[in-house]
Amino acid sequence: MYSSLTSSRLSRRAALRLGLGTTVLGAVGAGAACAPVTPDTGGGQGEGTFTIYWNAGHAYDAYQQVIDQFGKDHDLVVNWQKFQWPDLTTKLVADFRSGNVPDLVEEPGTASIQYGVQGNVMALDDLAANTDIGFPDDFLPESILARQHEGKTYAVPLHLTANGLLFYNRTMLADAGFDTPPTTWEEFREVALGTTRDDVSGFAVNSDYSYSAPWYLQHEVTFASVEDGDFLVPRERGDEVYEFLQRLVHTDHVSPAPVATTDYSGPQKLFSAGRAAMFLTGPWDLGPVRQGSPDIDLGVAEPLTGTVQASSMAGAGLMIPTQAKDPELSWELVGRLTALETELAATAATGMSMPRRSWADSPEVAGDEVLSTVAAAVGLVRAESTELAARGVQTQVNDLFKAAYEAMIIQGRPVAETLDGFREQARGVLG
Amino acid sequence: MARRQAVTAWLFLSPAVVFFPLMFFLPIGSQLNAALFGGVTSSEYVGAGNFTRALADPEVLHSFLITLGFAAGSLVVGIVLGLLLALVLNQSLPGRTLFRAVILIPYLTSISIIGLLWRNILDPQVGILNRLLDAVGLPGQAWLSTHPLATIIGIEVWATVGYTMVLFLAGLQGIPEVYFEAARIDGAGPWRRFLHLTLPLLAPTTLFVSIIGVIGALQQFALPYIVTGGGPGNDTSLYAHRVFRVAFNDNQFGYASALSLLLLVVILVLSVVQLKIGDRTHDGA
Repeated sequence: MYSSLTSSRLSRRAALRLGLGTTVLGAVGAGAACAPVTPDTGGGQGEGTFTIYWNAGHAYDAYQQVIDQFGKDHDLVVNWQKFQWPDLTTKLVADFRSGNVPDLVEEPGTASIQYGVQGNVMALDDLAANTDIGFPDDFLPESILARQHEGKTYAVPLHLTANGLLFYNRTMLADAGFDTPPTTWEEFREVALGTTRDDVSGFAVNSDYSYSAPWYLQHEVTFASVEDGDFLVPRERGDEVYEFLQRLVHTDHVSPAPVATTDYSGPQKLFSAGRAAMFLTGPWDLGPVRQGSPDIDLGVAEPLTGTVQASSMAGAGLMIPTQAKDPELSWELVGRLTALETELAATAATGMSMPRRSWADSPEVAGDEVLSTVAAAVGLVRAESTELAARGVQTQVNDLFKAAYEAMIIQGRPVAETLDGFREQARGVLG
Repeated sequence: MARRQAVTAWLFLSPAVVFFPLMFFLPIGSQLNAALFGGVTSSEYVGAGNFTRALADPEVLHSFLITLGFAAGSLVVGIVLGLLLALVLNQSLPGRTLFRAVILIPYLTSISIIGLLWRNILDPQVGILNRLLDAVGLPGQAWLSTHPLATIIGIEVWATVGYTMVLFLAGLQGIPEVYFEAARIDGAGPWRRFLHLTLPLLAPTTLFVSIIGVIGALQQFALPYIVTGGGPGNDTSLYAHRVFRVAFNDNQFGYASALSLLLLVVILVLSVVQLKIGDRTHDGA
């Protein structure tokens, strides 16, 4: 009975072998799919797909509308991927290695020079010369210089912002007897001391080292003197900057010691929660404060004056990978995203400041009290050397400085000793 | 017949024979190539240069030492707590199934969520933990600034102790009850039964937990990346985080490959040592 059944049907053993054989074939097939393949120069996305990498915090409706229209006009599926900066950088570096690149990338700060010198993103000057999007003539020179090396421009500025704007709670300052915001470091310290209460800090320092740039620029300190192989020079003045900041946190206790984290929104959250009277930031925090705490009487003042009044440049740009499948198509989108009407729409919704001269001159900006303050701060931007980026060591040096900054400001370690250690390590990176 | 058995055996083995070389050995070979040639796409032969550089790099030594501290701390605390929980929840207590499930939940949760959760809980200004301390009259603590590594160890233990508990529970339930009855008849008290019966008979489980724990701890990346970014300073920049920074911040893929391979060697050596110790303990028992 059994044998007659098995003779007419698949035997159990045969079925097992068949199953195993299928498994093996499946494994081989899956393995083949995982094996290295020649990269699709279309970003692995196939024809008809256009891939954009973007900062998650900048995914404004104004850009969404432009991108949607761009997709419709060209019958493209636009794959708009959003990341936090560190994750975007990681993915981009891996993509450059594999050759599987997006079509357009939002660039943090001066990273484009590093990628450009390495040959991973293209110089845009020829594309700019053949089209009329007002580049570079309508853009503030500082925003372009930060993305240029040896006469080549590797990104078009998308946002031009100034770090160092003073955000303050008018009510808290008034309650403490201060009718106007501080303008100098000493006034700032005085106001911070005067507004500090049991559960309110006069100031909230940022855990992110880059937020200390306005302070050293206001004290006429240069972050990197590449030709001398030195950092934060003159050294005595560099030390004074971080001693002042450290004193605010660990001696005066007018600011809580921040927490080491990749999130730079801590001071904004404290301010919005009514736990801090002042913090220093850029226009990107206008939206979160206004939307998160509409009841706070927000004041925005120009950057402080140390020995000089200054702000540090921040912002983002747009760059096109060298292996993008159609650079001219990417360039067209660059033009749409940086058009004046797009800039104004983004500003109206978020308060973000923009790099076009025509933006600064527009009635919408010039007639707005806060935006005009932002525009004034942008005018105080002090350009910094791009030589570290050109040598491909910007991120390495930044990484070292991040550790030193955290040691001084978060952990309260001795400033001179910590900065000397940083300088020595950074000099080693320069080689 | 023997030939047919051999064919069947190879058929059973073939998925692994295909999978492991393709997904593990080939990438390891590729890593070695990148380490020897200074990068993924570089053709410049640097030999052992990246390896000797790693051995002399104080940053690497620092990250390796704190990783050993992290591994030791999370392993010891995790084993002690996991065993204690298993001993308690192996008793006939009301609601023990619910407790087991609740304790296991963190292990089933994404490490990203755990990292973000604890980052918010531990925030000195707006975190709920300091609010609770404040509510009972205790001063707030800046956990991630004053004791960053210990705090990361605590989060790791919280996340994995449920799994350790389950393993020990399985081990406890595999011990025949007759041993304990015999010990009771011989007059052994609870402590002696635990020390001379439970612990030795749990040795294979403890060995397994140790090996898995050490491997996991030495490879830990996500917690420092999400919770502290490796800071403050470099106090929580564990070895895998260091490798990541070398590769993706410093763009030195050859050097990062060498660092990865050195970690592989360390893990292999430690695993073999643990197995040898386990064998000896088992033989002795």
